Amino acid sequence: MPIKILAFAGSPRRYGNSETLLDWVLGSMIADPDFIVEKVALTEADIHSCRGCNACEKLNKCIQRDGMDIYHDKIIAADIILLSSPIYCMGVASQPKALIDRAQVFRSRKYVLKLPIVPPERKGKRLGVFLATAGQNWSYVFDAAVPSVKCFFHVIDIKDADISYLMINGVDEKGAIELHSTAKADAEKLGKSLIAEIKKRLSI
Amino acid sequence: MDISVLGISGSPHRHGNTETLLDSFLEGSQNSGAAVEKVVLKTLQYSPCRGCNACHKTGECIVKDDAVILYEKILASDCLAVASPIYTMGITAELKGFIDRQQYLWARKFILKTLYFTDDHIKRHKGIFISTAGLGWENVFDGAFPVITALFNTTGFEYYDNVIANNMDAYGGINKHPTALKEAFEKGEKIAGVLEKLKDKGSLKNGKY
Repeated sequence: MPIKILAFAGSPRRYGNSETLLDWVLGSMIADPDFIVEKVALTEADIHSCRGCNACEKLNKCIQRDGMDIYHDKIIAADIILLSSPIYCMGVASQPKALIDRAQVFRSRKYVLKLPIVPPERKGKRLGVFLATAGQNWSYVFDAAVPSVKCFFHVIDIKDADISYLMINGVDEKGAIELHSTAKADAEKLGKSLIAEIKKRLSI
Repeated sequence: MDISVLGISGSPHRHGNTETLLDSFLEGSQNSGAAVEKVVLKTLQYSPCRGCNACHKTGECIVKDDAVILYEKILASDCLAVASPIYTMGITAELKGFIDRQQYLWARKFILKTLYFTDDHIKRHKGIFISTAGLGWENVFDGAFPVITALFNTTGFEYYDNVIANNMDAYGGINKHPTALKEAFEKGEKIAGVLEKLKDKGSLKNGKY
């Protein structure tokens, strides 16, 4: 069985700083024949925002029919889930926020309906990654984004301890990350450590 | 002179806990003689920010839709009461999508330097954040505050107060909360008075000097 990687590029700007960071992490996975890597640009993924109707608490599914029908199943099937986002106005962009809020269906499944998210043999083996870039160079610029991201991974059964973060501040204009002194090396290092960790967990 | 209070509801859920709390705030303001208007984001047509940064050169958003019209309305208001429930430790995607569109104003302020709010202007423009959360955690609003701060900073409002109520799931909704609706009404009443006083003081001062 190949190892499945699902990567959400959250920026509305294609091939910008946060997506470049994501591509660097994915690089060594794409080169490895044991991996199947799928990258999804959220700006093209047709994921509407959560309506707050709470119907998923009864139905165990969302009443909306859109791109999330596909990604719901892919989120369950993936061994590593990555999410990248630029920081806009101190939070994740609205496109990843919509994805995160639509994970409500997993929260309902887990806490209201008390049903499993992944089969027991895969529980505790999945990894999560959050990658972010910010134009501002304030040290606290990522603080408001992280709690939402933690919730997202939590409801899809990825523990806090299994989430990796790489967040680069002070990069604004397109391509600025290419000039950053450590971002590329750190991203590539993270990619390799994810490969090693998931192979160990899946005994491959 | 009438004080204008603009309420923006960022909930996708009509007449739910958050919008009801906003309504109570606006009723309070109206009771004090303010001119009140409520805008429900769900009923508007706008797309989220594309991150194209075109506004960094022009100070204008290339997307012409209801978001720009609402920002013009915000800039013309004395009080901005912005409301969102907490979804996944943050504001809703609807409100986030709208707030991200303020980039053109940010560009005017910090890149083009064509927009500037004096300290006096900021003091006379009050921002209120109104929110509810299902969870009872004390930190459940923490992810929302910095985003709301960014909105108020960019649009020239002093972040004056919060009207927030957590633990909605346990209370069974805002109507069963012991104090929240009353608090919202009273804060709405109060803010109209505070702004009125500031306005009177301003006109007196202008007349005198």
